Amino acid sequence: MKPGKPVAVTGMGCICAAGSDLAACMTSLFTGNPNPGPPRRFTSDHPNPYPVFELTASVLSGLSREQNLSLTATLGIATARQALEDAGWEPEALRRIRTGVCIGTTVGCTMNDEGFYRIYRSGKPPDLTPIRRFFNSNPAASIAKAFDLEGPCQALVNACCSGTDAIGIGASWIRQGLCDVVLAGGTDELSRVTYNGFISLMITDTGPCRPFDRDRKGLNLGEGSAVMVLESDRSCHLRKKAPRVFVMGYGSAADAYHLTAPKPDGAGLKKAIADALSSGGKTMSEVAYVGAHGTGTPDNDRVEARVLHELMPGVPFFSTKGHTGHTLGAAGAIQAVLVAAFLKAGRIPASAGFHTPDPELLIVPTVDSRMISGKIALSESLAFGGSNAALLLGIGENWI
Amino acid sequence: MKAILKGIGVVGGFGTGIQTLEKVLLNRGPTVESLAVPDPQTLGGQFFVPVDTRQIQDRFPSRALRRIDHFSRMALLAAVLALEDAGKPEVNDRMGVIVATGYGATRTTFAFLDSVLEGGDSCASPTLFSGSVHNTAAAQISMLMGICGPNLTVSRFDLSISEALVVALIWLAEGRVTSVLVGGVDEWCPVLSHCYHRFFGKNDLSPMRPLDPDRQSAVVAEGAAFFLLLPEEDRADGYGVIESVTTGCLRDDAPVLPEDALILLGADGHPVSARRYARFVPKNRKMAAYAPYYGSLPIGMGFDMAIAGLTLRRKRIFPMPEIAVKDVPIDTVPTDSVAWTGKVCCLKITPFDTYGMITLATQTGNPGN
Repeated sequence: MKPGKPVAVTGMGCICAAGSDLAACMTSLFTGNPNPGPPRRFTSDHPNPYPVFELTASVLSGLSREQNLSLTATLGIATARQALEDAGWEPEALRRIRTGVCIGTTVGCTMNDEGFYRIYRSGKPPDLTPIRRFFNSNPAASIAKAFDLEGPCQALVNACCSGTDAIGIGASWIRQGLCDVVLAGGTDELSRVTYNGFISLMITDTGPCRPFDRDRKGLNLGEGSAVMVLESDRSCHLRKKAPRVFVMGYGSAADAYHLTAPKPDGAGLKKAIADALSSGGKTMSEVAYVGAHGTGTPDNDRVEARVLHELMPGVPFFSTKGHTGHTLGAAGAIQAVLVAAFLKAGRIPASAGFHTPDPELLIVPTVDSRMISGKIALSESLAFGGSNAALLLGIGENWI
Repeated sequence: MKAILKGIGVVGGFGTGIQTLEKVLLNRGPTVESLAVPDPQTLGGQFFVPVDTRQIQDRFPSRALRRIDHFSRMALLAAVLALEDAGKPEVNDRMGVIVATGYGATRTTFAFLDSVLEGGDSCASPTLFSGSVHNTAAAQISMLMGICGPNLTVSRFDLSISEALVVALIWLAEGRVTSVLVGGVDEWCPVLSHCYHRFFGKNDLSPMRPLDPDRQSAVVAEGAAFFLLLPEEDRADGYGVIESVTTGCLRDDAPVLPEDALILLGADGHPVSARRYARFVPKNRKMAAYAPYYGSLPIGMGFDMAIAGLTLRRKRIFPMPEIAVKDVPIDTVPTDSVAWTGKVCCLKITPFDTYGMITLATQTGNPGN
């Protein structure tokens, strides 16, 4: 694959358990003390509740909720608004140019309202409000509708890679001249259905998650959204807007191995990383650090550690899941926004939840926050279905 | 950005394979309402058009298919058929997979909820949960066919197919892949059927009349349509070239239909939709709507694209069922097979005031393909 031109990121927005905007998230990641707890918005009959990273009541109350929109869509709109403000865009101005929306999700596109279905099973015709809300809440379409955008509009449902894929594909839309601006990211809310699903797979920790730790037992689910404003060179020039960071490259590849477990040799992840580097015209040696998927499940962390040890030994890496939880379709986008923000800040955080090295992994994540001087960082995601995706993000050079 | 449409695989209520679909088109039937069977599971009663995926057993070992649900089987079968139709090209790690779906694996999704509602939260089924994720079909295609390239699933209801094609063309243009297996799949399930019934009224199995602005005649269906696309510069013999894929919002000045193209309307038996098509497609344009052969489902545009490919290859417009166009005030709709050498444009207009448009043309330099 030939290297493509870096794509400017002119604005970013983020809402998750770590904070109600990107600045708050950054503060939490460097100084916060994450404390996941039992879900508050739904109940379960598991003897011991599994902790989750839920949005706080104050964050939820600050959202402009519409009755006919899901929380997933609402979060997507809210972070898109944050990102546009950060980029200095008035939504009205976007209507005059080709603006696309590319959003990853899992919960947001699944028709599985449990309350509706419970009544249906009882033989009574259920109220159709949840179904109407589902049809009205495609996250990408909701954002396009909220800002009256007419460009390409895509909801990617690639499980936990969705957010990473959305940013990578959004960048391709800019490179190929399909759009002047793309709102790209991911969004997902906590759901009782996915909560029970992940617990059934026995990959959920009963305590706070411990990515890359010897004693890791699994993930904690989370919720949130992150959106980047991707912008063409021409648009940046016309607005005299300096990019915050750049999407340098993107790669994705399938394991073709197992529905829920990554391929032990990490072949798909290696290929995704190789494609991200080659499409960005960069080499492994230029990568300053890696934002790992790092869910805290034994399998995921084993494969990621193996790949990072093989490809980039000594390159610092960390997981942000100990602060955000695993936000599924939003995870890759939240991670990418944070990885980009760390580039701007010139430092990376400690990998929350990590305490004891696992001798099987051969490498350890960051144990303290540290300054970094490199200009290129990698953000990677692995997903159900054997999907792998990687984004290469960069700062510091005038690429436009 | 353009791509060669090299192979087509379809699975629907009408049967299996592009040759079967062509026969149905030539014979003007059977139409979906004649294939529908009553479904006792749907609350309130309803009909559906079942899809038979048994042919997949000839292609994969039973053991490999053991835990694969109906949704993924339809996708897998259509994907294999598309490769076979393309001459069974070698699968390599530069082949991409993109699956479009409106609703995902609905039967498995609700079966997972059954496991929770019947046995409690602790009895949630891990197998059903992992099978309910939207990208299951894409994953099964990659696993069973050994395709290690980029793998993606997109979901935007009726525009899922056109959005998937947008990505496919970009992947090819970037050189990210050397071929893409792209398609769509949607399955029927009792809950969807119940919702359909509640929103649109019970289906009386009268013939589908997609252009009738006054009658609800949609028949809920399921199926899958897949395509093998190659870069335009490959100059391989195919059905034709995908010239463009556009999506957007309905406005007075949009969509802009390609000049002199046959328009395949994605109208599928909803009168509201028929009225929208009537508003945005001038009556003097040559047009057809083939949903009476494949039914109403979010990825119906995939079947229209398959028919567009056949139209280019056979250089003829296939007839619509007579009953579907009787008394419809449009005289540019074919009820007999007629010659056609121009472009073909698949147009889908959605209830959300959006549209998707796929334009195909004969390959330059390959007039006899």
